[in-house]
Amino acid sequence: MFGKGLVKGLQITWKEFWAPKLTVEYPDKQHPMPERFHGKFVLDVDKCIACGLCVNACPNRVISLNKQKVGKKQYLTDYKMDIQYCLFCGLCVESCNKGAIHFTQDFNMNQYFYKNIPLVLVRREAPAEPLEEPATGGEEKPKPKPKPKPQAPKEEKVAEPAPPAAESEAAAGKEGQ
Amino acid sequence: MLENLFVGTTDWLRSLLGGIGFLPTEIAESIVLVVKLVAVLVFILVNALWLVYMERKVAAFMQARIGPNRVGPWGLLQTTADIGKLISKEIIIPKKADKVVFLLAPVLIFMPPLMVFAVLPIGKNMAALDLNIGVFYLLAIASLSTLFFFMGGWASNNKYSLLGAMRTVAQMVSYELPLVLSLLGVIMIVGSLNLSDIIAAQEHTWLIFTQPIAFLIFFIAAVAETNRCPFDLVEGESEIINGPYTEYGGMGFAMFFLAEYANIMVVCAMATIMFLGGWHAPFGLTFIPSWVWFFIKMYVLIFIVMQFRWTYPRIRVDQLMGFGWKVLVPLSLANIFVTGIGMYIYRAIGW
Repeated sequence: MFGKGLVKGLQITWKEFWAPKLTVEYPDKQHPMPERFHGKFVLDVDKCIACGLCVNACPNRVISLNKQKVGKKQYLTDYKMDIQYCLFCGLCVESCNKGAIHFTQDFNMNQYFYKNIPLVLVRREAPAEPLEEPATGGEEKPKPKPKPKPQAPKEEKVAEPAPPAAESEAAAGKEGQ
Repeated sequence: MLENLFVGTTDWLRSLLGGIGFLPTEIAESIVLVVKLVAVLVFILVNALWLVYMERKVAAFMQARIGPNRVGPWGLLQTTADIGKLISKEIIIPKKADKVVFLLAPVLIFMPPLMVFAVLPIGKNMAALDLNIGVFYLLAIASLSTLFFFMGGWASNNKYSLLGAMRTVAQMVSYELPLVLSLLGVIMIVGSLNLSDIIAAQEHTWLIFTQPIAFLIFFIAAVAETNRCPFDLVEGESEIINGPYTEYGGMGFAMFFLAEYANIMVVCAMATIMFLGGWHAPFGLTFIPSWVWFFIKMYVLIFIVMQFRWTYPRIRVDQLMGFGWKVLVPLSLANIFVTGIGMYIYRAIGW
């Protein structure tokens, strides 16, 4: 019949009219991210031994870390990623022996100012004394402050809403904002 | 109460003016008329704004999107914001343009829909003016907008504008013919050019059932008259940028844009009156006011026009002309012929 296609076309658009909409209004709602999404990094500070393998693994030299020797152990004081150069390849995550650094599903790392872009995962002072199980040498007064509190008020923490240090896993949990 | 909302308001205004006393009847009556016409103007503008929003929503829904949803609740104020932006823009006049005509065209483009709506009965006793040659007036005025498109296209002094304007003229003149001829069947049956009479004649049977071919022809020609897809060659973006509107920016463009929607409203209102029984309630659902019924019918037609746009591709110029002259015109002539014979037979057997 002549004009059958026209009617069929109208039927299709009519059906489409009632079909569920695919748009996700992004800032209000979000697509669920896949489990292994390469998003923002979190660092489990308690696991990190400041070995620097991730620094070496990074093809873009994004990661910079500072450490200090406290007693016999390396103590991580700074862990910064220049995230604007990061290609999210995941080599740092792969290289970590301790499983300290990993991805989250949060991809929103926008900053209003350029200086805020680098992702500061740890910034803290090294304690003067070794923490637990002091080295066997002699009579240094043991058992000082139990954990190095991260001196939160003093440092301007950038790009990281929760205190990054000590209670790191808890912080990482809150990371998603 | 709701049924007579607007009629009652007019009567109240009239009695108020009469109560003042010292006003002569003619002046009081003309004040009432001015109020009516201003109401029509406001009505058209508000509807045009709503239709732009509706078009975007319909488009979005047919493409699995949501459409405007940021400005106001459900994005209802989107068009208002757009118009606000367009008003604030500079009016750019091309150097070699014919300034007077160029500026006049977008102003005048709103005249035909306004003048047409002044005579449309949009509810029981709700025509601002009840002309006894309503259909004639309506067709005469509705075809005027061709001129304003051409003014805009010519005055822009731009090849694309001129091409678009020429196409408008060709298209609208060719489709005017089947439009008018299809209405002839209706007028033959009703025997009157008065719109209120035409509506009154459809109290029991809508004319779409006695004149289905005429309705189809009318609707197709009406879509072409308003330069809507699939007949939107006038502003075929891929070919001639934006047709007659190419050189217009800001409010000049917005006027053309709103006038397009006002024109859609006019032709859909015409189709409602001529074929869908105007403000008559179907199935005896008279508890809904007559003007609500009118709007429901009109908006159903408008929705179909919008659905056309997101269903059909644009047709070629030669196809357009061929379809108009080789299909629609002979078909509408045949329709008149058959209607005439049918009426004669009916009269002969004494119905």
